[in-house]
Parts: sequence; C-alpha cells; structure tokens
Amino acid sequence: MARLLYLICIFLPLLSGTAILIFRFRSARALKILTVACICAASAAAFAVLSADIRETVVFLPFSRTLSIVFRLDGAGRFFLGIVAALWPMTALYACSYMDGSSHLPLFFGFFCISYGITAGIALAGNLFTMYVFYELLTLSTVPLVIHPLTRDAIRAAKIYFVYCMGGAALGFASMLFLLSNGAGGMFVPGGTLSSHPYGTDITCLFYLLGFLGFGVKAAIFPLYAWLPEVSVAPTPVTALLHAVAVVKAGAFAVMRLTYNSYGTALLSGTWAQYTVMMLSAFTIFFGASRAVKAIHFKRRLVYSTVANLSYILFAFSLMTPAGQQAGLLHMAAHACTKILAFFCAGAVLHFNGLTMIGELEGIGKKMPVTFACFTCAALSLTGIPPFTGFVSKWHILTAAAGLGSVYAYIGTAFLLAGALLSAVYMFTVVLHAWFPGSGFSGLSVEHVREADWRMLLPMILLAAGTLLCGVFSGPIVSAAAAAAGM
Amino acid sequence: MYAVLMILMLLIPAGAGIAEACMKRASKTAQDALLVSALAAETLLYALLLFLPVNSSFLLFSMTDVLTIKFRMDGFSILFLALVTVGFLLSGIFATAYMDHSGNRSSFYAFLLFSQFALVGMDNAANLITMYMFFEMATLLSIPLVLHDRTPEAIGASMKYLFYSIAGALLGLLFIFVASRYSDTLDFTRGGSLNLSAVSGHETLLLVVSLLGIVGFGAKAGMYPLHGWLPDAHPVAPAPASAVLSGVITKAGVLAILRLIYFVVGPDFLRGTWVQTVLLSLALLTVFMGSMMAYRQDVLKKRLAYSSVSQISYVLTGLFLLTDQGVQGGLLQILFHACVKICLFLCAGSIIFHSGKTRVSELLGIGKTMPVTLWSFTIASLSLIGIPPAAGFISKWYLAEGALESGLPVMNWLVPVILLISALLTAAYLLPVTIRGFFPGKDYAVSGERSDGIPEFWLPLVILAAMSLLLGIFGGTVTEWAASLASLVL
Amino acid sequence: MSFASFNFPLFSIILALVCSAVSSVLRRKAARILSLCLCLTVAVLSFTLCSVCVRMGGRMDFLMGHYPHPWGNELRFGPLEPFFAGMFSLIMLLSILGGEQQLLRDLPMQRQNYYYVMTDLILVSILALCYSNDLFTGYVFIEICTISSCGILMIREIDRTTLASVRYMIFSLIGSGLFLLGLILLYGITGHLLMPNLLDSVRSVWASGGYRLPLLSSAALITIGLGVKSGLFPFHYWMPDTYGAATASSSAILSGLVSKGYIFFLIKIVHRVFGVEMFYASGIANILFVLGLAGMVVGSVYAMREENIFRMIAFSSAAQIGYIYMGIGISPQLGITACMFHMLAHAVTKPMLFLSAAQLQSCTGKRTVKELRGSARKHPLAGAVFIVGSLSMIGFPATMGFVCKYYFAVAAFAASAGRMIPALIILALSTCLNAVYFGRSIISVLTPGTDADLRRVRVRDNVPFAVSGIMLSALNLLWGLNPKFLYNLIDLGRELL
Repeated sequence: MARLLYLICIFLPLLSGTAILIFRFRSARALKILTVACICAASAAAFAVLSADIRETVVFLPFSRTLSIVFRLDGAGRFFLGIVAALWPMTALYACSYMDGSSHLPLFFGFFCISYGITAGIALAGNLFTMYVFYELLTLSTVPLVIHPLTRDAIRAAKIYFVYCMGGAALGFASMLFLLSNGAGGMFVPGGTLSSHPYGTDITCLFYLLGFLGFGVKAAIFPLYAWLPEVSVAPTPVTALLHAVAVVKAGAFAVMRLTYNSYGTALLSGTWAQYTVMMLSAFTIFFGASRAVKAIHFKRRLVYSTVANLSYILFAFSLMTPAGQQAGLLHMAAHACTKILAFFCAGAVLHFNGLTMIGELEGIGKKMPVTFACFTCAALSLTGIPPFTGFVSKWHILTAAAGLGSVYAYIGTAFLLAGALLSAVYMFTVVLHAWFPGSGFSGLSVEHVREADWRMLLPMILLAAGTLLCGVFSGPIVSAAAAAAGM
Repeated sequence: MYAVLMILMLLIPAGAGIAEACMKRASKTAQDALLVSALAAETLLYALLLFLPVNSSFLLFSMTDVLTIKFRMDGFSILFLALVTVGFLLSGIFATAYMDHSGNRSSFYAFLLFSQFALVGMDNAANLITMYMFFEMATLLSIPLVLHDRTPEAIGASMKYLFYSIAGALLGLLFIFVASRYSDTLDFTRGGSLNLSAVSGHETLLLVVSLLGIVGFGAKAGMYPLHGWLPDAHPVAPAPASAVLSGVITKAGVLAILRLIYFVVGPDFLRGTWVQTVLLSLALLTVFMGSMMAYRQDVLKKRLAYSSVSQISYVLTGLFLLTDQGVQGGLLQILFHACVKICLFLCAGSIIFHSGKTRVSELLGIGKTMPVTLWSFTIASLSLIGIPPAAGFISKWYLAEGALESGLPVMNWLVPVILLISALLTAAYLLPVTIRGFFPGKDYAVSGERSDGIPEFWLPLVILAAMSLLLGIFGGTVTEWAASLASLVL
Repeated sequence: MSFASFNFPLFSIILALVCSAVSSVLRRKAARILSLCLCLTVAVLSFTLCSVCVRMGGRMDFLMGHYPHPWGNELRFGPLEPFFAGMFSLIMLLSILGGEQQLLRDLPMQRQNYYYVMTDLILVSILALCYSNDLFTGYVFIEICTISSCGILMIREIDRTTLASVRYMIFSLIGSGLFLLGLILLYGITGHLLMPNLLDSVRSVWASGGYRLPLLSSAALITIGLGVKSGLFPFHYWMPDTYGAATASSSAILSGLVSKGYIFFLIKIVHRVFGVEMFYASGIANILFVLGLAGMVVGSVYAMREENIFRMIAFSSAAQIGYIYMGIGISPQLGITACMFHMLAHAVTKPMLFLSAAQLQSCTGKRTVKELRGSARKHPLAGAVFIVGSLSMIGFPATMGFVCKYYFAVAAFAASAGRMIPALIILALSTCLNAVYFGRSIISVLTPGTDADLRRVRVRDNVPFAVSGIMLSALNLLWGLNPKFLYNLIDLGRELL
C-alpha cells in the first residue's frame, strides 16, 4: 500500500506529463483541465501519504548495494512534500490563466507535470543516490520550461542554468562518492552515516564543502547564484514555482540532507567547514538583499530577494543543531508561501498589463487592488512583521543562532537583521509607490490597467490568507518542523 | 469584561478606518461624522476602561508556545491611552476643518484611525511580542499620513521614516530576542523579567543589547542617533497628522523604552552601569541639539519638529535617571508635552490654512488677525518653556529633582544645567512668535480681518491650552498619580 | 573441449585478411555486405570464445605453427581479450552500418570498395593487437593499422581530409617510431620478443638493479609512442582535424576503435612485459596520471570554443582519452578496471555521437552547433541518439558515462590522498566543462528552429542508421543501468592478463 502511494505521488505526474507531451490535444482548454486534474490528483495522493503517516521504506530499483533507488518518508521529507503538494495545484491554476495566448502549450504543461513528479521524488528519496538522480532529472525537466518563450534571452538563460546545475551536480557527485565509499550505505539516517573521519578532519570538511557548494548551486549560494537572475526571463509560473519553490527549495533540502542525514552534524559542527558555510550564507543574505534594493526590474528584485531568503534557510541549516534544522524547515515553508505569492502578483501585472519595471507601478494599486493587497501581505510576511508567518520563521532562526553561542552565529545574526531591514526597504517602496503615487501622478499611465482574472486571483488570495493564518496559527507547523528535526 | 472592552477599542478604529477607506465618494459630512464619532466612541470606551480593576488581562491568540498576543491594562497603559484617545479626538476635530485644504480626506481619516488602532494595541500590550507587533504596525500605518501630500519631499520623508523606524525596530527585535533567552517569560513584569541567575556571566551581552534596543526604539522617539527622520517627516505631513505624530506616536517609542527598562530588564540591572551613562548622554545631547536646531529653523513646523525631538528627550532623561522623581517627571512630561505639542502644531496648521504662511519670519502681526490661535500658542509655549503656573514647569521641576537625587557622579548637576539651557533656548525659539505676532511694530499695517476660523479650528486649541494651564494649577492629583506609578516600578 | 581447441583468434584474423583481399575486386555492394558479415562473424566467434574462457576461468594459449615459445609465435588470452575483440568488431559493424548514407555521399563510386578493404585491414590489426603475445607482431600490426587508418581518412578526397590525414600520418609514424625505438632497446637488454619471456627477463633485470635507465627509457618510449598514437595530451593535436573532416564512419571507427586498440595493447604490455610493480614503481604511471588530468581539462576547454560540431566531438575525444590515461595512472587494480570500462563506454558512445551528428548535418545541411538548432525535430531518431550520447558524456545517471565516473571515483578513493584529491577535483571540473558544450548542443538541437521546413526524416528513410543508432544507445543504457556484469567480467579478465 505504501509502495503504491509513493509511486502514485511520483509517477502519476510523470506519466501524465509524458502523455501531454506525446498526444495531440484538440483544444487548449482540454489540455489545461487535464493538467490541473492530474496535479490535483497527485497532490491528493501526497496528502493521503502524509496523513496516513506512512514511514515504510520502498526499494524501487536496486542497482547494487550502495546504488539503489529507495523511497522513504521521514519528518523532513514530509515537510517538503507538504509544501510542494500544497503549492503546485495553485500554480497550475495560475498558469492556466498566464499561458493564455502562448504557443507550444503541450511542451509547457507536459514538463510542468513531469517536474512535479520529480520534485516529489526528491522529497521521497530515502538515500543520497536517489536524491542525486532526481536532482539531476529536475534540472533536465525544468530546462524546457525556462526555454519556453524561445527568445534569445530564454535560450541563453537555459544554457546558463543547465551549466550551473550540471556543474553543481558534479561537485555533489564527488561529495556523494566520498560518503558512499566511506559511509554505511548512503541511506538517510538522522545523525548521519559517517561515523568518523576516514582520512582526517580536513578531508571530510573539504568534501562536505564541495557537496554544499554543489547542491548549493540550486540554492543560489554566493558565488553560484548567477543563474537565478538570468532565469527570471521564464514565464512567471515557472519562476514562481520552480525558482522560488521547487528547484531552489530542492537545493536547500538537499543541503539539509547532506548535512544532517549524510555527513552528520556531530562530525561537522565546530569545524572550519561549518564556519565557512555559515559565513558564506550570511554574506549571501546581505548580498542578495542589497542587489534587490538596487534592482529596478520587478521580477529581478523578487529574484534577488529569493537569493537572500534562501541563504536564511542555508544559514539556519549550517548551525547544525536540531533547532537550526527546525528553523530552516520553517523558513522553507514560510518563504515558499510568501515568495510564490509575490511572484504571482508580479506575473499578474506583467501578463495583463505588460508592465515590468518598478517605476511603472506608480499608483497601480487603484486599478489592481486585490493583487496589490495580496502583495502587501507578502511584503509584510517577507519583512517579518508579526503575526505573519515570516516573523515566526525568522524568530526561530534567531533563536537557533543564539543557541549556538559562537561568534560566527552573532555575525550571522547581524547580517540577518541587516537583510531584514533591506527587505523592508525593497518591498515597501513597491507597496508605497503602488498605493500612494506621487503628486505628479495623473492617472493616465494606469488608465488601461486591468485587474487579473479569477484564475490568478484565487490562488493569490488563498496564499495571502495562508501567510497570515500560518503565522497566527503556527503551532501545528512549528511542532511538525520540530518533530522533523527530532526535537 | 476587559477583553470585550479591549476588543471593541481595537475594532472601532480599525473598522471605522476600513469604512472610511471605502467611503471615497461619500459626502464630506458623512466622512467627518464617521471620523468624529469613532474617535469619540473610543474616548468613551477609555472612560469606561478607567473603572476596571488594574492589571486585567486577556490572551488573544498564541502563534507558538513562546510567541503570544496578550493584552493587559496597567497604570502606564491608562496614561498613554489618555494621550491616544483625547489627543486623536481633538486632532480629528481639527482635521475635519483642515482637510478642506488638501484632497483625499477619506484616505487621511482612514490612516488616522488605523494609527490609533495600532497605538491602542501597543499601549495595552502585555508582552514584548505584542508590543513589537503593534509597534511595527504603528510605523507602517502612519507612513501614509506622512505621505499624504504626495510631493517629492513627502515621499522622501516617508521613506526615511520607514527606514529609520524599521532599523530601530529590528534593533529592538534583537533585544527582544536576546531577552527572551534570559527570561522565563516574555510578559512584562514589574522590576524586570530577567532570570538573574541565567544572566550572570553574560551581563555585558545584555547591557549591550539593551543599549541597542533602547536606541532602536528610541528611533521612534527621535532620540539621537536615530532621530534623523523626524525633522523631515513631521513637518511634511498635514498639520493634524503632524500633531498626532509629534504628540502621540512618538510616545509609542517612549512607551517601548519604558517597558524595556522597567518591565523587562529592570532598573536595578541598569543603574550605575556605563549603559545608563551612555543613555543619559544621548538623551541630553538630543535635548540640547534639538533646541539648538529649533532655534535656527525658520519654517514654523520644522521648528516645532525639532522642538519635539528635544522635548521628548526630556522624558527619556527622566526615564533614564532611574529614580522616583525622575520617572515621575518623565511621566508628567509625557502628558504635558503631548497636550502642548498637539496644541502648537494645530496652531501652526490653523495659521497655514488661513494665511498660507509657513515661516516664522512671515508671522509678523498674526496676533491681530488670529488672536485666539496665538493666545493658545502662547499659553502652550509657556508650558513648553517651563514657566509656572503652566504645567510644563511641574514636570521639569521633578526632572531636575530626580537628577539631583540620583546620586550619579556627573549627571546629577549636568542634567539640570542642560535643562536650564534648553529652557532658555525654548524661550528663544517660541517667544518671538508670540511677541512678533502681538507686537508687530509701528510699520505694520493690518491686513485681513480677524478670523480664527470655524469652531473646529479654534476649539481644540483652546481646550488644549486651557488643559495645559489647568493641569499646572490644579495638577495635584495628576502629580500624585504619576508619583504612584513611579514608585510602582522602582 | 574440442570446440575450444579450434584456434578462433587466428581464424578470425585470417578470415579478415582474406575478406580484405577479396574486397579489392568486388563491387561496392558486395564488398559492403562482405565486410558486414565479416564483422558479425568475428563478433560472434569472439563472444563465444569469451564465454568459454569465463566458464573455464583461466587463460588459453595457442601456438602458431608448431614451435613452442621462445622460438615460435604465440597467442594468449583470458576472457578479456576476446570480449574486447568482439566488442570492437561489433562497434565496427555498427559504425559501417550507420555511416552508409555519408559514405555514399562522400566517396567516389569507384573507390567505395577500397574503403571496405581498409576497414577489414583495421579489423585485422585490432584483432591482432588484442590477441598477440608478441611484441614485434604487435608492432607490425600497429603499422598496418596506421596505414589503413590513413587510408580510410584520405579516401574522402577533399583538401581538408588530405591535410588532416597527412598530419595524422606524421603523428602516427612518430608514435610508431618511438615504439620501435623502445622495442629495440628492450630487445637489446633482454634478447626476447615474446611477452612471457620478456616479463621474466625484465623482472630479473629490474631486481638486479642494473640497466635501470635503459629499461626505464624503453618503457617510457613505448608508452609515449602508444600515447601519441592514441591521442594523449599533449599529442592530441591531430584529432580535431582528422575526426572533423572525415566521413562519419571513419570518425567513428578511428575514435571508437583504433585509439582503444592502441591503449589496450599498452595495458597488455604493462601487465605482460614490464609487470605491474615495475611500471608503477618507476613513476611512468604518475606521468600518465598527470597528462591524463591535463588532457581531461584541456580537451574540454578547446571543445567549448568550437563551433563545428564534429570538431567539438573530436576535442571531447581528447578529453575522454585523458580519462582513460588518468585511470591507468591511478592504480593498477581498480584504476585499470575503471579505465577499461571507460574504454568500452567511449567505444560505444563516440561512434553514436559521430553518426548521429552526421545525420543531423545531412538533414539540415549545416555543421555548426548554432545552425543545427531544431535539427532534432527534423530527425527525431538522430536527435534522440545524439542526446543519449551527450548525456553519457556529461555523466548523467542511467548512462554508461555516469557509471564510468562512479568507478573512477571509487578507484580514486582507494588510492592515496595525493592522487585522490586531484582526480576527484578534475573529475568534477571536467563534468562541468562537458556540461557546458554538450548541454549547449542538446539545447540547440532541441529548441524549435526558425526553419519552416518541418518535413521529418522517418526511420525507414535510413534503416541502417536506425539499427546502428538504436543498438548503440541500447548498449549504453543497458550497461549504464546494469554495469555489474560487465565490471566483473573486466575485473576477472584483468586479473588473468
């Protein structure tokens, strides 16, 4: 039974995506309805798995003793699967509206479904090899989505994305091999599979660092973040879901698996590798936030904000304590919700009105009130204003950092707070310009602006409500994260 | 009972604000009526609140085990709520007349009400998280007030306000967060909620963080070094908003500092430490510097803004002295300054509305055309300078007394000296307005007839001026009440 | 077993020689069919022999003529040599099959049968290199191989190929010359030419400590000679021009078989002439390791800058040869097994790439990566084969390339830290670099092009290519998903070398 449910979660979207690619559809409408139906069905299966609390290990394809495809759902995996399963259907609905008028729709929706299945695979992966395989597959399945507009920028962006991800996978591969050769089989075990330093501390640290940088490419750690701004040329549903939720969170999730379940925090904490990783993520927070302040292109601003926020998650994970893991998981959930909402708003503005620059958003709040009300919620959550969910996750990160007590943690905290200040600046300037245009504003520039349609507004409203409610009633989520961290 | 009252006090301004925002096309009368009735209702509820036992509290919801939103009413809440309700009411009445000048009244009213909502929540906060939440809300909801005229200066000023306030709030958050680790609870406890055994060994950390937190919250109160937004933001807002910003919203920062010192860290923790010295130095510096800068300003509203910077730091000085009389003086100063500053800004607003003059140098002979306004201005000035029998004298007296009895090596004489100098400067920047307004000189030709405007303009002014005088003369009850509050926490 | 007493290897060699001679008088179609049947036969025979050896679990010797060693000639093999021989003939079969369309286009009609003469000769030489137990015989067939390789290059008569084949001839002859020098030195020291005798002699000479320098020089010369011929950095110069200009089958054969044949012979020499201990102790292995690492990086760097798709694949070959030499350099057990696995992988993958690229070129008429945009949509099968090959080169899981990298990494971990860290880092780096240019190509061929002509090439338009492409891809994926069998076979064979 468990086996069946796992396989449904992964293969239903994969097969339906392949079917969409192969078969010819009579109308775009039928295609869209099929896509949304399949994704909802897969999410339903995922929620069934989560609620049934299945914890079995399913060995899918054994290649050899160490290399086999194994699925197993532990606490952290459940968390990630929950995020993915909740957000994908909403994006599908949003995409149905956004992709009106685009060509090559089967290509888009086919790979959209396939990517869902693969991300579910990453969440369900029971050992490092499985996660690595699905990680690589995710790169392959998302490249067609990036390239979809078929403009020169899109093709260039796809190439850059591909190269960065493959490079990262190569580094991750080296790290994985180190573990497989010296660890106890590669399964994800709380506390890690490495029991001692096989060649001395420095070598272990070096390989961990390689793995961190390798998997961290997808999580946009400095200096390997450069693909993320390029990829913002993709259609907004892609940017929103994949590059704010699936791909980047998969990267952060992989880093977590590497740190907590493969190498093991007992071996790594206190080493120079940990400090390097902490400082790198702290720097990226500040760097991303400051680039966001300078960005004048709406989506790019949000993309740099993603870079900064991902490093909040990586920083939390780099603390290498259960509290750190909990905080990182919480921020994963909070940020996913918030950032996808922000991108939806940006996409609505882009799609219905063709406006991409922040300067063009002057006074647009009057004409797109619902969209910008939702965006304001996202801004509040991102800055970390209680009672929104962003505040709860930032609080936990700070708590975890203080729990560590080392000077690097304090430096990290300082960067964190600076990043929060900058995020207030870059989000609220947009909010204020949208709602309170300057005195020279005549209304002419937004005369032709229209509000988004229900297929976009519904997900936005749900998500905005989510950012508030998940903050106010954050008890269940916090305890789920705590359970995942083994606290 | 408390819960019901509290929820009503929160819902009424919030609901009225939302209603105002939707009432863009309604008639002026309807908008005005809604505003005034909401503010009046709020004041009524406040009066009812006074009958409840002190220290009633209730929990609204909990985000996690540690992070809860809780309300509690104690003596300090009552003090600050007085400002919030009465001050907003009088400014609101003024605004109904003033807003004929600028457009978009419904948005203005809406955010005025929202700001009141945030402040009510903050004043009744029972723990640091609730206070932080409403503090941030107060910042965000008052930005549109600053932004109202939509000129480039207004936009620039509001961005500055946003930046400074959020920076300050984040420093405050840092403090909250560190404090939470060393206390058993985040709730406000008299004498401090720190777990002293946990603290031992980490005193320096807590001292540093307390300093940062106070400086951070002090941004809202215009304390050096994070005061830079205030002289830009307060003048650029419409006059009723400036009044409320200077008179009431800045007190939110003061309240945060008060709670921080007396209810979280505990005065004993800070007394005699280097932190206290630093804080007192910063406050005194602000006092002096604010007065100096006020003296040099020609634009009336800017002069009043710098004056606020200076005067609020009187309060902070009192709080930082950590003595009975110092705190007492500070609390009294809160009350009196609010009264006075609202009055002064509304006077300035009335002058701007009726004559279009913004600079002090232009106000020659204004007493002839707007006598009631200028009389109110004068009486308020007396209180601000600290001349008996106006109320301001009492608060400054206690401040000086507090300094003398504090036993601090340098501060016990430095504080009174600075207060004196500042008083002289205050006189120097306020009295000329009065003098030149009433005694313009022989060459002056009266232009324009006597008009103080409709009652909505001069009635609030008169009430406030009268209050500042009466509180000074018959202020015994208030003074004793302040004394009891001070002894409660020391 | 009477079956086994039949001298299959010699039979295969003689058969190939005969077919080659006969093809010179046959017409094109007949020569082609003969060649294909020859390859098939040899493959079947070799695989049979291999399974016999595996079952027997030991080595087999055959005498040539009736004189026992040390005077007569000898063939010796375990399970490894027939397996490689079989694989090589299979690859040759598929290469010739898949490149038929290009052959018809590129070569003048009256010369077509000579092409098959040359390929048969190449087959002869490769078989001989696989099976021979004698150094001089090896040298002779090396030369034959060189000449026939130049032949299949030059047979396409355009300026570029003539120039390229001259360059190739020069390099190859330099390599052969160095090999001959080493051979002569060795003969001078030991007085033997048969491998078992040589092994004994070399061991005793090495143990006694005398003649160290000449012995080392001889080993170095032989190694470098074979390295030059197979394209070790920095002697990979000739590769891009050669592979880039030749007809598709020739590129496939040269890159997939010929270079591998030389390396296989080198490995045999290492084991059966110098002995593993001496070779690794002498430091030559370290040099190979370093040169291999350099080749991995340099080859990929040059490939990134290439526009012409064939030259890009050729530079990629240089990089892959680097992998093989790195494997030799890492360790004599795990390293060499990994390197031989990679030889097979490359032998399967490189022809795949060349053939499919040629198909893509012929359906669009363009040869640069940019201009080939969308070509996979015109010729889906070629596109698919190209993508599988590229993914294998990058090292994507489920392809043979990934398994090769895995085995290399495992070998690296078992080696000393001084070898492990550079090996792993360069492995990762070269994966990144491969991802750049192969990724670029994949994306380019997949994105829908601007060309309005959407006529698709169907499978039945070019059945031979379809058969060849599908079989090669199937082999790649099969051994990518299930490498254990192959790996164990190679390991067993290596031990019996």
